[in-house]
Formats: sequence, structure tokens, C-alpha cells
Amino acid sequence: MRSIVEFIGVTRAYGSRLALDDVHLALEPGELAFLVGPSGAGKSTLLKLINREIRPTTGEVWVDGIAAHKLKASRVAELRRRVGVVFQDYKLLPRLTAKENVALALQVGDLRVSDEEASERALDALDAVGLGDRGNAFPHQLSGGQQQRVAVARAVVAQPPLLIADEPTGNLDVDTAWEMMDLFGDIAAFGTAVLIATHNVEIVKRLQRRVLTLVHGRLVRDQPAGRTGRLAWLASS
Amino acid sequence: MAGIVVKGRFPRRRVVQVVATNVFRYLFQGAARNWIRNIGSTTPALGSMTLLLLMLGLIGLSGFALYNLERIEAAQASLLHVYMRDGVASADVDTLWDWLANDPRVASVGYTTKAQALVRAQRMPGLTQLADATDSNPFPASLDVQVKNIDDIAVIDSMVRNDVAVDPIYPTSYDRGAYQRIQAVLFGVAVAGFAFLSLLGFVAVTVTMNSIRAAIHSRRDEVTIMQLVGAPRWMVRGPFVVEGAITGGLAGAAAGLVTFALAMAGIAAGSGSFTRFAPGVTVVVAALAATIVFATGLGLGSGTSLVSVRRHLES
Repeated sequence: MRSIVEFIGVTRAYGSRLALDDVHLALEPGELAFLVGPSGAGKSTLLKLINREIRPTTGEVWVDGIAAHKLKASRVAELRRRVGVVFQDYKLLPRLTAKENVALALQVGDLRVSDEEASERALDALDAVGLGDRGNAFPHQLSGGQQQRVAVARAVVAQPPLLIADEPTGNLDVDTAWEMMDLFGDIAAFGTAVLIATHNVEIVKRLQRRVLTLVHGRLVRDQPAGRTGRLAWLASS
Repeated sequence: MAGIVVKGRFPRRRVVQVVATNVFRYLFQGAARNWIRNIGSTTPALGSMTLLLLMLGLIGLSGFALYNLERIEAAQASLLHVYMRDGVASADVDTLWDWLANDPRVASVGYTTKAQALVRAQRMPGLTQLADATDSNPFPASLDVQVKNIDDIAVIDSMVRNDVAVDPIYPTSYDRGAYQRIQAVLFGVAVAGFAFLSLLGFVAVTVTMNSIRAAIHSRRDEVTIMQLVGAPRWMVRGPFVVEGAITGGLAGAAAGLVTFALAMAGIAAGSGSFTRFAPGVTVVVAALAATIVFATGLGLGSGTSLVSVRRHLES
């Protein structure tokens, strides 16, 4: 089986400082993995390399068969449509409703998607994250947890093979954070590889998933684990 | 019973319609909405670009008129009148005529008799009284030599002025440097106009680029989100370019209309004097100038935005 993400001897330097140092890793479809480590360990750099926000100094980054390390700027969008992204600060467009934020990800990726289809699929995705009745709400009318759910719905609505999340529970209370983790587990159960960068040790310990530990840019531990969860709307689509 | 398979054409049309709708929404509708939202930061660019384009239109029309004027002056300056001595033998005139007509630098040679010269003088403002003041005809006969290249006129003049048929006191109409003086003045006007337009253009382009940069910075989050959800480059950059085109188009339309109105007002104010001072400027030329001003506005606005977007918006 082809890995969704593969890092081969990846080094990324900012001037003389090494943010990542000779990292090798592979992530399989349907796998949920945590990326942990102290601040400045290189977690965000690793995620940015996957999303081709930056290029590696040396080494190869493969994402769903695309060579991200040598991808031209004009083709970056093609890669990003295969990677759902969730951020700590949600990054929703404030002038769009929840449904429109989700639909946007569908239509910018494929202009052949009509308004009706985009609306229908966006509502399905919002329903799957428990916000089926808040589609017409604007981000400022939603709680932090709800906004993060909208961001997850937006990230997975086009059913990308990979979802990356950078501190997705950083702004959420404990209960909401656990709900988010259940959601990520469900998404992984339906075949999407999920990589979550987090500081939340409690969640990492209790979920018993694969854990990748970065320290000073080096991948010092790769601890394997199992899988769980379900998400009906992904199975039916 | 055999069935008939009807192949529907609707879905393909539907796809084209959906794509067109989405492109229109993300490129033009979004740009128009953002342009209205950013009207405050766009106003200086709109104003400076309108001023630039108006100056472009007016200076362009003036330049066109001066160009025509220069052509008229050049045609007049390349016509050399060689004045015949009183009592000259017709054989001498014929010899000089043949000599000039056979010169490859000469386009044509005509002959004006003393009587024709008098009639011509009587039609010219200021010479009428002089022509009527004396009993005898003071105007000489002349050979009218049309020189192909105005630069050769001095040579022709020096060749003919000592000929036996030519008046020794006032041999030709050649005024050394007259045409050069006109050319120098026109060249100076052109340089000054070009420098002024360049300065104004620099200001307009800088102000427009800054307004687009401000628009990019104010929508930095939106741009980032669009990029992260996989929006293609044209979809991220396009609205900014369209915004620039809207600014340039509006400035061009306003400046084009004013240019056309001023030209029409000039034509209507006094066709006689206007024709003399702005030869060649007609309604068609004014409309063409207004169209060029509008098109320049569109190009300048979208081009400037494109440069600004490429500089300030990495993918």
C-alpha cells in the first residue's frame, strides 16, 4: 500500500538553525498519528512541508504520490486540494456562513460543483460534525468548539486522503477537545490519514494512537498504536 | 420493441453554465464587492489615474494637432520659390527649369508669372494693400520648386541663387533655420509633454500599486485561507487584478469622457480658429482619443495590479 505521506531524509534549515534534521517517516491511509514535542521542536515546520508552504532544504517529501519537495508554485493548489488543514485559530472567513465556508473548499477545488451540490455536501459535512442546524450561522455567532468543527467539516468535505491539524484543541475546553478527537478518529476510520500536532499530553496518552516525537528537529521516537471510531456520512459518499 | 436512446445535451451545458457562474462569482463578483469595500483606500489611486489619463488624452490630442501642424509646415518649407530677374530671357528660365526638373532631389517644378504672383498676393492678408498701392506689379515671376527632402532645400537654394535667370537681390524664398526653429519648438513641447506624462504616470502607478498592496494586506487572512483550501493561483490573484481593472476602467471612462467633451467644445467654439490651431482634430479623432484613454486606463489598472500582486502575494 502506498503511503499517503512519506518523508525521506528531510532537513529544513532557517539560516544556520535546523528546524528539521534528517527526518524519515511514512503515514498510511486511515492512520491517525500525533506529532508531539516541545515548542520549537519542528512540528509546525513538518506540517508546512506537507502542505508545501515551505520546501525542504534537503530530502524528499511525498504527499499522495506528489513530490512536494520539487513542486512548482503553479501546481501547489493541486497538492493542497488533497490535504485538509485544521488550525488552532480555525481560519474561517468571517463574511461567509458556516455552510458557505465549507462549500468554498469544494468549489475552489472544482469549479464544476454547482451551488446546489456544494450546499448539499456542505450541509452533510456540517451534519457529520454535529452542526447540521447551524449552517446559516456566521463564525462570530458560533462558539470556539463549533468554529473548529466547521473548520474540520471544511477540511474533509472534499474527502482528501490526508488531514493535518496544527494544535486543533489549543483554544478549546477539555470536553470540546475530546469531542474533536472523537471526530478525528471517525475521519481516520473511513480511510483518511490524520496527522495532529499537539501539546495535549492527556489526549495523546489516553487515545493510544501512533505518536511521533520531535525534539530539536529530530524524530526521536515513533510509537505505533491502533484505530477506532465511525463517521456515517463518509461511508455513504 | 426496439428502444430509442436519447442522448441528453443538457448536462454538458449545465457544466459550462456552472463553471461560468463560479468563475464570475469568484473573479468578478468578489472583485466588485471588495472594490466597493475598499473604496476609501482606492480613491487616491482613482483620482491620480483619472488625472493622468485626462492629461494623456489632452496631451495626446495636442500632440496629434502639433504633428499635423508640423507636416503642414514641412510641406510649406519644402516648397522653394526661385524669383526670376525682371526682363529675364525665356530661354534662361527654360534652361533653369529643365535643370531643376532633372535634379533627382526635386519632386516637381512649376512656374508662376508676375500676373499670377500679383493675384496671389492680393488674396493674402496684409499684402492686399501693398499690391494695390503701386501702378506697376512689384511681384516677381518665380519657379516653384517642390523638394523631395526638406534637408536638401539649402543645397538647391545655393545652386540656383547665382543663376543668370534669378533675381540677384532677392533670389529665393529660402529662410535658413525657419523650419528648424519650428522643429525645435515642437521637439521641446514633445519632451516636456513626455516628461510631464512620465512623472504623472509614475505617481499614478505608485499610488495604484500601494492601494493594491493595502488591499492585499487587509485581506491577508482571506488570501491565506483561499490558498490553504487549494484555490488555484488565478483565483487568488485574479480578483485583485480585476479590482485594478475596475479602478483603471472607471478612471479611463471619466478621463475619456472629459477628453471627448473638451475636444468637442473646442471644435464647436470656433471651427475656423480651431482648425488652424489644431489641424486634423475631428469628432472621429476625439472619439478615438477617448477610446484609447479608456483602454489605457483598463490596461494600466490591471497591469499595475498584476505587478503589485506578483510582488506582494506569494503562492
